[in-house]
Amino acid sequence: MNMRLIALSAVLGAAFFDATPGLAHHSNVAFEVTKVITISGVVKAFQWRNPHTWVVLTVDDGKGGKVEWAVEGRAPGVLLRAGWTKNSLQPGEMITVDFSPAKDGSKTGLVARVTKADGTILANAGPAQQ
Amino acid sequence: MTTPRYLLLCMIPSALYAQTTPPDFSGVYYPINPFGAAALGRGPAAGKAPPAAGKQKGPPPRPTQSAPLSDGSQGRSPDAPSLTPEYMAKWEVIRKSRMAGSSDYDNTAKCLPPGMPAMMSMAYGMEVMQNKDKITFFSELNDALRRVYLDGRKPSQKVLDDPTYAGYSTGHWEGDTLVVDTVALHEASFIEGFTPHSDAMTVKERIRFLSPGLLEDRITVTDPKALTKPWETVKTYRRATPGNNDELREFACPEGLGDAK
Repeated sequence: MNMRLIALSAVLGAAFFDATPGLAHHSNVAFEVTKVITISGVVKAFQWRNPHTWVVLTVDDGKGGKVEWAVEGRAPGVLLRAGWTKNSLQPGEMITVDFSPAKDGSKTGLVARVTKADGTILANAGPAQQ
Repeated sequence: MTTPRYLLLCMIPSALYAQTTPPDFSGVYYPINPFGAAALGRGPAAGKAPPAAGKQKGPPPRPTQSAPLSDGSQGRSPDAPSLTPEYMAKWEVIRKSRMAGSSDYDNTAKCLPPGMPAMMSMAYGMEVMQNKDKITFFSELNDALRRVYLDGRKPSQKVLDDPTYAGYSTGHWEGDTLVVDTVALHEASFIEGFTPHSDAMTVKERIRFLSPGLLEDRITVTDPKALTKPWETVKTYRRATPGNNDELREFACPEGLGDAK
């Protein structure tokens, strides 16, 4: 198998197995940071990892179906200082996320803030970072 | 009139102290203006911090932005480095790429070190480690490190022929101010934001305490190929007090690099 075929197989394989939208690490420039939109959904996964954390959400599509969103958050170190922990979000809980949408229109975003069902706000930055 | 002998005796120890005991910059710091004086008054970094985790009555105010706008869509700030036409053209290429949402010119997104002098923004916090012969600056963002040698050594030809992101820094004390010269910086890093530079860039810094725990770094960037005049910026950092976010966290950027775009 030549190198081109191997590369093509790898791409197709990744596309087949990666059902979550765009769980790739982005620069902030991938997002419309001047816009903030809001969605509510159920946490499917919360990945506490560098360089950016991830929240995967299952959201009602308004037509009786479900869609999945993957929103990218700040690094664990930054979030720790803002009051988060690696257990801040649990699979199955309902949350509301304010985030900036991706420029490419995919169901991804850059988190501005997460609000839990009881009203607790998980922000991006705490006073110590100012 | 002659100075009384007891006054002379009092003056000698204080003069010696000033020469032999530089200030101790050791500690963990957070930037007050991570994107430089030029950014003051603009963007969320300059504003009041959002509240940390907690409950609020009623719906919270909408956040206005998720991150500082850094894709170049607003053009260049009048305070940005003044580029020669050749380097302005390079900046325009990078700007178009970023506005399209590409991470091609974003070293941080690739887990590469931010490099000098951009790394001194220290947006995620900085730890300073200091002894008589060396002062080390650590950036939580991308676990980046730079060493400033204080023992009188100079960059060798081998060092000058091997440019790096942090470059090679030597320093000395002028009273309570640490004066640092940085050379051997390769072209893959940026001056600030995504402003490119040449292999001829050098950086001079004057670092001092403005008051206890309030550290200032006055940075002057010189680049005869890329800049029409030296560029100056000032960073200030506040030292964390014991028990109040006085530990930085590991960054380990490549954890998420496997699926980087």
